[in-house]
Amino acid sequence: MKRTLRNLLSVVTLTMIAVVLFAFVTPQDQKAGAPWVIPANYKSMANPQKGKADPDKVGQMLYTKHCKSCHGGSGLGDGPKASSQETKINSFKDAKFQAQTDGQIYFESFMDREMKSFEKKIPAAEDRWAVVNYLRTLK
Amino acid sequence: MKKYILFIILFSLISVISFAQDAATDSTAVTEKDKPVRSPFESGYLIGAQTTVIQNVKTLEAVIQHTFGTIENGHSDLWGIYAPGANIRLGLDYVIMKNFQIGIGMTKKNMMTDLNAKWTIIQQTRKNTFPVAIALYGNVAVDGRNISAFESGLVRQAFTGPTTSFSFSDRLSYFSELIIGRKFTDRLSLQAGLSFSHYNSVGTDYDHDKIGFHFNGRMKVSPQGSIIFNYDAPLKIKEITEQISWTNPPKPNLAIGYEISTSTHAFQIYMGTADGLLPQDNIMWNQKDFTKHQLFIGFNITRLWGF
Repeated sequence: MKRTLRNLLSVVTLTMIAVVLFAFVTPQDQKAGAPWVIPANYKSMANPQKGKADPDKVGQMLYTKHCKSCHGGSGLGDGPKASSQETKINSFKDAKFQAQTDGQIYFESFMDREMKSFEKKIPAAEDRWAVVNYLRTLK
Repeated sequence: MKKYILFIILFSLISVISFAQDAATDSTAVTEKDKPVRSPFESGYLIGAQTTVIQNVKTLEAVIQHTFGTIENGHSDLWGIYAPGANIRLGLDYVIMKNFQIGIGMTKKNMMTDLNAKWTIIQQTRKNTFPVAIALYGNVAVDGRNISAFESGLVRQAFTGPTTSFSFSDRLSYFSELIIGRKFTDRLSLQAGLSFSHYNSVGTDYDHDKIGFHFNGRMKVSPQGSIIFNYDAPLKIKEITEQISWTNPPKPNLAIGYEISTSTHAFQIYMGTADGLLPQDNIMWNQKDFTKHQLFIGFNITRLWGF
């Protein structure tokens, strides 16, 4: 009985040590997203909603509903689900992000990649552009 | 009493439509295609009621509806959370075509299994071409209890002998509802409805049919949060009752709660009186009275999957 207990204790101790050691081996950081390859037609795509007033706050409403949980309330990429994503979420306030054309942001926001496409959840193009416009206000 | 009830129904339905008409007048010059309003409600469920909302085509909505026991005993059973009498319904709804969904659900109380369908005939549009949304909802539910339960429960309670004539159809009940709703502002959406409930088999003291009036809505208080309410009133209509006097008529159901919605979830927590979870159960059998604090805590969780 004593021997069994001692064996058990050894197994548990070894497992614990292994877990602690593996913690240093396994990468803990989220990987950075690969550079975007954006088709030319999206790069030059005009935003049909550009400059349009959004009195119903459609962009903000859709952002809050679909994006906020990962991208954070002010777009810093610090939402409650951000840390559990495999890829690091960049800030919308980043000058590099804001320097892109509306078409590029549209492509990055709605095409399938690490982040699943939101085309089905936001079916109307008008509403998607409203989200792009809202992202512009976050800088 | 009957006149009064009819007045309430007509007033509610007419006021929903006439409010809508006011706003409709200034948009006739616009030739652009009128699109449906954006999410008048966040989910197809509103506490125990249905909304005119149907998700996008090929969306599966799973719902967990749960009610605890009543709060009557206070902290001794943690306001009903430890109390017996909890009810739960697990449901799945699938949108097979635009504005038409079918669903199935299992309810603990009376071991009910329901098949349901909802059709949003007309969606309210942004420029008021259609000022209201109109939907039809219907279900058929099977009481799955052992045959012996039908002699002691609400059903066939007057029978004492063996149930030789008992057949499967005696287990069935139906509910159908016409829902008219309007999103008045980005914050406020209201719905009124008229329903017809039918149980194939009831005790001799009860009616087979009941007409119900429904009124519910939401008031958004933040981009994701709303105050929600639901009121269901079983109507006392002499013409359709089988009884000479009203003994234990079902009581109205009032529930008030708070809803939080995200991309794929709607979470509703509420206090209410009717714990049937199936609408025909609430309209036909509810004996809990909110004026006597016979309230319980309940919640709904919905989850969407797109295919």
